[in-house]
Amino acid sequence: MARMKFYCDAERCIECNGCVTACKNENEVPWGVNRRRVVTIKDGVPGERSLSVACMHCSDAPCAAVCPVDCFYTTDDGVVLHDKDICIGCGYCFYACPFGAPQFPADGAFATRGKMDKCTFCAGGPEADNSAEEFRKYGSNRLAEGKLPLCAEMCSTKALLAGDADVLSEIYRKRIVNRAGRVLQRGVPYQNATLRSPSGLKGKASSLE
Amino acid sequence: MYRPVSRTASSLLLLLVVILAPVPGGGASANNREEGIQVPNPGTDLWREVRKRQQPPLAGVKPPLNGAPGVDLWMEIERSKLSPVGSTQVKSVDSGTLINPFGDEWRRFRMEWLVPYGGYAVAGMFLLVVLFYLIRGRVPIHAGPSDKRLPRYTVYERMIHWFIAAIFLFLALTGLTMLLGRSLLIPLIGAEAFSLLASASKEGHNLFGPLFLLALALIFFRFVRRNIYQRGDLTWLLRGGGLIGSRHVPSNFFNMGEKSMFWMLVLVGGVTAVSGVILVFPVLGQGREIMALSHVAHAITALTMILVIIGHIYIGSVGMEGAIEGMTTGYCDLNWAREHHDWWAERCENNGEVITVEEAFEAEGFTPGAPKHHRPAGETAE
Repeated sequence: MARMKFYCDAERCIECNGCVTACKNENEVPWGVNRRRVVTIKDGVPGERSLSVACMHCSDAPCAAVCPVDCFYTTDDGVVLHDKDICIGCGYCFYACPFGAPQFPADGAFATRGKMDKCTFCAGGPEADNSAEEFRKYGSNRLAEGKLPLCAEMCSTKALLAGDADVLSEIYRKRIVNRAGRVLQRGVPYQNATLRSPSGLKGKASSLE
Repeated sequence: MYRPVSRTASSLLLLLVVILAPVPGGGASANNREEGIQVPNPGTDLWREVRKRQQPPLAGVKPPLNGAPGVDLWMEIERSKLSPVGSTQVKSVDSGTLINPFGDEWRRFRMEWLVPYGGYAVAGMFLLVVLFYLIRGRVPIHAGPSDKRLPRYTVYERMIHWFIAAIFLFLALTGLTMLLGRSLLIPLIGAEAFSLLASASKEGHNLFGPLFLLALALIFFRFVRRNIYQRGDLTWLLRGGGLIGSRHVPSNFFNMGEKSMFWMLVLVGGVTAVSGVILVFPVLGQGREIMALSHVAHAITALTMILVIIGHIYIGSVGMEGAIEGMTTGYCDLNWAREHHDWWAERCENNGEVITVEEAFEAEGFTPGAPKHHRPAGETAE
């Protein structure tokens, strides 16, 4: 079985927020909720990098561990999902999550938390695949249609990738090899190497192995 | 009135129980984490190679820090753990923080410490109270019930007592449901049914929680003068409130144990209430760390109160003859007052506040002579 993961390449992300918009549109998430966000470090100064963050679908998910009603489950594809019929909106998953993925619409009285909403890896919820009920609660179920999450599919620079961890690792490895090729060939710093193809090499460094 | 010495003693025993108790789940969860599938960092081997081949460094080139890519980025992320240094178009509290490592510490606190030990502590306290009852039995009025009464609590005092009592019991039960339900109730009733219960518990807890702050304030202002420590309280403490030996220790309207419980309730309960307000309104601009810390404070103080109040309920009801009458009827037995609050009883007697059973019943609104209510004193203790 596949083990689905996201991978965001900080050397490629241009902070266009296309992934955020794609997610919001595809899943019709509630007001005030953004399942994905792009965080920029060193904004406006040399060394600026951006990363797109959402639920990382942890193998040992802290949200699932602390949930008082045990509403989380991991699918066969390694996607961490939750059941909104069980969720009570206590906020514990939000405290435990390292990435700030769980979001809460201000549904209750005095803007208290409603039922939690988070990235589903475009895999819906426990309801029947692509049913109206599933879409209303969790948004799109692209995985059931054999498609990958729209955020990654929309990414114009292919900074954000989604898919099986082994495949992503291989892509990442090749990218690193190409960047390293530039460093080895020209002796330029890594940061500069990322922006140009290794012109001194014939073909891609990763294809020379 | 009750003598909270049982609490002091039982707290010690409880501590023993907690220390000796084995921890389930601790080992299991550690195993779970290790079972997480290992994802090899695809860049590691390569960069080791790059660093090897870069020796000696090329002239005029500043080698990347540590030779690894993204070090600067990761140093920034490390820094952003302390305060959100990133910027993002998604405007909400903490949204600029990439990684919040405090969450995992909070997870460990809740899952490996709070849930198991909290559960043991509450169960242990119940067990201790039962054991205490079996060993010591009910504390009787040694001189026997009299036909004289002393006015102890006014209607207003009884009202705010039962007000806070009702709120506290409700909050304790709903809070414990959310704390222990996953371990205890889901295996029994299933996740669906428990979700209904937990959802109702959470809503009720959130709704009535802020009222606890109000009730606490009412209790504080009404009873604070009688709860100031005075000469003689130390003696009471040193003699274990009469638990050591058979003699009674003199005390005023409230004894040292009751005063301590009052201050515990005000201080610890105050922390519980304030941290609860921080948790219940997530729109005040507080971040995850603040909320997780509030949860820690909330859980520890609430459990402390629950343990103490279990002792309070015991000694105020089945644990001592004549103790509950003051809080239900407003009047207490003269002999009970003499035995447990003799300074106060003496003062009342000197002031001529002693009345007969008949007068007490009349003051409560019962018709004098009505046989239904006109039971001999002592049988009304329940």
